[in-house]
Amino acid sequence: MAKNNKKLLFIFNTIFLPAIIISSPDLLKINGISPCWPVIWLLPFSLKNTPWKSSIASIVLGIFLDSFTISDVSYIPSLFLLSLVWSQYGLHNKKIELYFNIGLMAVFGTAVVGLSIWIQKIMLYSFLRNNWFYSWSIYAFTTEVLITGLVAPFFSSWLLFMYKKN
Amino acid sequence: MIQARRKIGFHLFFKSGFRLIFLTAIFLIGIRWTKGAGYLDVYSILVRPILPGTAQSEWLKEGQNIEKNIRLQILEKDNIRLRRALSLKETHNEEKISAAVISRSSRSWWQYLEINKGAKDGILKGQTVIGPGGLIGLIDSTTLFTSRVRLLTDPGHQVGVWIDRTKRHGILTGMGTNRPKLIFLNKNSLAKIGDAVTTSPASTLLPPNLIIGIVQFIDEKALPTPYAIVQLTASPEAIDWVQVLKDNG
Repeated sequence: MAKNNKKLLFIFNTIFLPAIIISSPDLLKINGISPCWPVIWLLPFSLKNTPWKSSIASIVLGIFLDSFTISDVSYIPSLFLLSLVWSQYGLHNKKIELYFNIGLMAVFGTAVVGLSIWIQKIMLYSFLRNNWFYSWSIYAFTTEVLITGLVAPFFSSWLLFMYKKN
Repeated sequence: MIQARRKIGFHLFFKSGFRLIFLTAIFLIGIRWTKGAGYLDVYSILVRPILPGTAQSEWLKEGQNIEKNIRLQILEKDNIRLRRALSLKETHNEEKISAAVISRSSRSWWQYLEINKGAKDGILKGQTVIGPGGLIGLIDSTTLFTSRVRLLTDPGHQVGVWIDRTKRHGILTGMGTNRPKLIFLNKNSLAKIGDAVTTSPASTLLPPNLIIGIVQFIDEKALPTPYAIVQLTASPEAIDWVQVLKDNG
């Protein structure tokens, strides 16, 4: 049984997750914005593992995701910070399987990732400094938080359940 | 029984052949008065099944399209000849690569399209990508079988453009929405709402005269230079096929 779980996790982590990040299916989008998949993946992993392991996983995930973006803005700082926070939280709190808890943590994580990208873009592109609070950023930020909050309870809690089983 | 003379006359009139003459006269007066309306209406109902329908209008449109295409080809040839005479850059229409959009991120933090043609098909970084409506972006990176197109809407993406009517240059800067910002290089833009924005003929990166969008808003008093908001004519959210211009000129 444990072997089957490991297989499932392996397939999910190595095939399903990268495929869904690359293809960004319209089915899982709100107004053209996909859920924040790195948060959905990192949240259960960090809750189950030590800060050391989680931080390494966040850096690896960040490097992987940065290869799919088109500017110098990086996922790594925000994912690194989140991995440390969540792994600390996971070590001290045992009752975190609740859907609502997972959803709230994913919302928080997506907000941190979104803010990090937003700030990096403002720092990188001088013209955005004069227009830093314009509609597109707010739209992308709020929509991503919303869709991740809706999707995370399903995927992240299932992943957490699988990690705990192994 | 003796009847009144007037009643007898009326009875005789209907009984006799005068009735036919009377009805014919009424009928003719009716037709003359309505200018043959009844006949025309009946005729139109009868010939309705054999009237030239949508097929004929399509033939007409097709004919008009052929005529327009021929005129366009003549004008393009003239344009190429004149551009050669003036030693300006040319657009090589024959060197286009059609590609399908396989992944789309047109509204999130990064705005790009993934297309199904790559380095194997001769696509290189920096090549121009057009779709129905005009320019949509430039090739940002390529793999063997795919390419990533950075959209004009992506924040931080800047291309040199101009307004043909005023002959004023500017830098089109992506702002994350379908309405990028056109920052003019001159103090006085002379632009008007509705002006067409195209790629600059002086550009060394892009082919000349590719349609980009229409000016929707202008702030002439902005500092240090005026700016305009441009509505793009091509919509990356709805495009499934694009064309990559192999030679940017």
